[in-house]
Amino acid sequence: MEVMSLLQNTTSVLAGSVGTTRNMSRMKKTRPFWQPKPTRTLYPEELTPSNEAFGSEVISDHLSSSSPLKCEPWERGVWTQTSMRCGIIARKIGVYPMWDKNGRRLLTTLLEVPDNQVIKYIPPEKLLETTHNKNKNRKRPMEMGALVVGADPIDPRLVTKEYYGLFADTGLMPKKKLTKFLITPDAKLPPGTPLYASHYTPGHYVDVLGTTIDRGFQGVMKRWLFKGMPATHGVTKSHRRPGNIGSGGAKARVLPGQKMPGHMGRKKRILRGLKIWRVNTKYNVLWVQGPAIPGATGSYVYVYDSWYHHCRHTPDNPPPFPTFFQDEDNIDEELYHEDLHVFSNPSISFNE
Amino acid sequence: MALQTSGRRILLGLVSQSCHHVRGKFHKQALTNAGVQKKRMDLFSKEAERQAALVTDVEKIEVQYQGQPEDCTLIMNKNISTPYNCAQHITQMIMDRSVLAEVDGQVWDMHRPLEDNCSLRFLHFKQSDPYYANKAFWRSASVMLGAVLESTFKDNIYVELCSYPSPNVRTGSFVYDVDLKIPTWTPTKEELRTLSGEMVKLAMAGHRFQRLEVDASLALKMFEDNHYKTLQIPHIAAQSSTGNTVVLYQIGNFLEISRGPMIANTNFLGKVSVMAVHPIQTNQGQLFRIQGVALPKGIMLNHFTYGILEKRAAELNSGRIPVINKDDLQPTKAAEALST
Repeated sequence: MEVMSLLQNTTSVLAGSVGTTRNMSRMKKTRPFWQPKPTRTLYPEELTPSNEAFGSEVISDHLSSSSPLKCEPWERGVWTQTSMRCGIIARKIGVYPMWDKNGRRLLTTLLEVPDNQVIKYIPPEKLLETTHNKNKNRKRPMEMGALVVGADPIDPRLVTKEYYGLFADTGLMPKKKLTKFLITPDAKLPPGTPLYASHYTPGHYVDVLGTTIDRGFQGVMKRWLFKGMPATHGVTKSHRRPGNIGSGGAKARVLPGQKMPGHMGRKKRILRGLKIWRVNTKYNVLWVQGPAIPGATGSYVYVYDSWYHHCRHTPDNPPPFPTFFQDEDNIDEELYHEDLHVFSNPSISFNE
Repeated sequence: MALQTSGRRILLGLVSQSCHHVRGKFHKQALTNAGVQKKRMDLFSKEAERQAALVTDVEKIEVQYQGQPEDCTLIMNKNISTPYNCAQHITQMIMDRSVLAEVDGQVWDMHRPLEDNCSLRFLHFKQSDPYYANKAFWRSASVMLGAVLESTFKDNIYVELCSYPSPNVRTGSFVYDVDLKIPTWTPTKEELRTLSGEMVKLAMAGHRFQRLEVDASLALKMFEDNHYKTLQIPHIAAQSSTGNTVVLYQIGNFLEISRGPMIANTNFLGKVSVMAVHPIQTNQGQLFRIQGVALPKGIMLNHFTYGILEKRAAELNSGRIPVINKDDLQPTKAAEALST
């Protein structure tokens, strides 16, 4: 039945091959074999409503979604110039204009930080054991640990047992999105620590990693910004085509890397040195410079402290280290950059 | 111990006679579960054949079937046809899903022959009130656990099954109390998983729960190597309708004494986990209470909710701890009393 509906939806069913569908330009995403599959095929369980409610009660009692530190608080490191703290997982929720005090308009992207929690700390010795770590080939491996951070809780009954096993020890709700952030050991955080938007402050710079919008199979004009050819004046059937693809003489071949039509988008790209203009600590939203964060609205991005030398933290403005503990310290709901024009502030004052 | 008699050695039949002649004298053979099982099965199959041969004429009975797809009257053979045979005449679905039969309002095993004209219904797990099917399921799970325990231990450990409390869903687990003759045992996760695996294998083997009513004296002979059962048999026989018989259930090579109805087949067992082993103190020493939880086949449940059931099953079951009355009549005397 599923095959039939698939056939109805596709437009490229070849004659004579009823069971197959051609979708070659789809980017085939394969997980590494060691990563557990998160979701499972759901089947009707026919539980009575009271039994389902009991299950939900057990989940809410025993699993925490956004609770404070679960275990003994670990020693909190002090920020130094070479410290690297973890990032956060955010979700792109839109683009909005802001105005600075000079009246200049700038566009900002809103990034929501949905229920981030530290899942696990991997100390440097353990991290060196991983196969893909190039650090271990160095003579003096860099002292780098990792923090596994998760975002967006999901009902444990909807995930596979293997995936749930990643969270079972910590007693946390399983998360939809997981990532690993490389950190220096002084930035370590215990499992269960929540991460909020207050991890960043207006004025600081971030790098944002996202997956670009999947545009499918595209021609050279969209993909490589070729000029194309005129619409009229005798041009025969070559309005959007690439035209010539080679040279002559010794180079009488198509050189490797020749720009041609093909799949465009669904690639990981990092945008660096983006300024944070505004932070809302109640709804956990960041206003980040520019409209061009990779990905569509609603997609996940990873936010890091910026790598650029001119954007890094200095002893004059250190970051909250290892993170801002919003459950312990007070903070204003809205934080604005000093250059930003705040519409809700009074603009004219009269001296009576 | 009263049971260390030479008579047991002869009945074992494990060691060939030639071995004795070579040695020139008797030497004590240790009891093994495999040997004891073989002996019991030989006696059981002989008795089953004898009882089957007693039915010489094929008389017909009318069975009024009520249920899906439609009510009907079946003409079956008296003392030969079982409710399962009736189901075979109806539909495949009824055959596959029926766990118990209801004959004249009384719960009846699927493979127990029908005795007279009767009304027949079938019970399954997914009906609106599966009370009897549920009870039978938990009882059968205990019996299957006993079967696994008797065959999974090393040969040098002679496992004596004691008993199991009557099924109570509210306790959260099915149970078997067993005498392992070792002082302590804290099983590792791997060992519990092995036991669960053996339960699954037994379920996949698809053995029928074959019922047979035997005379108490024969039952005593079959279970003379298990002193717990030997003490229980006279009490069970006294409570039976005839006053002298005991009901046995056979799954493959395993035999168990039980009153209540069992499910039709071991393949009705779906997900099963043996969760804990708790030592319990009885009036005559220590036994081990093996606990587990299971779901019938076809009932699907996600890992998290099943995990809640597993955690509950690991807690010590509050079922009745067996009371072993050794000051009762000696086994041989009990046999004499029953035969007169």
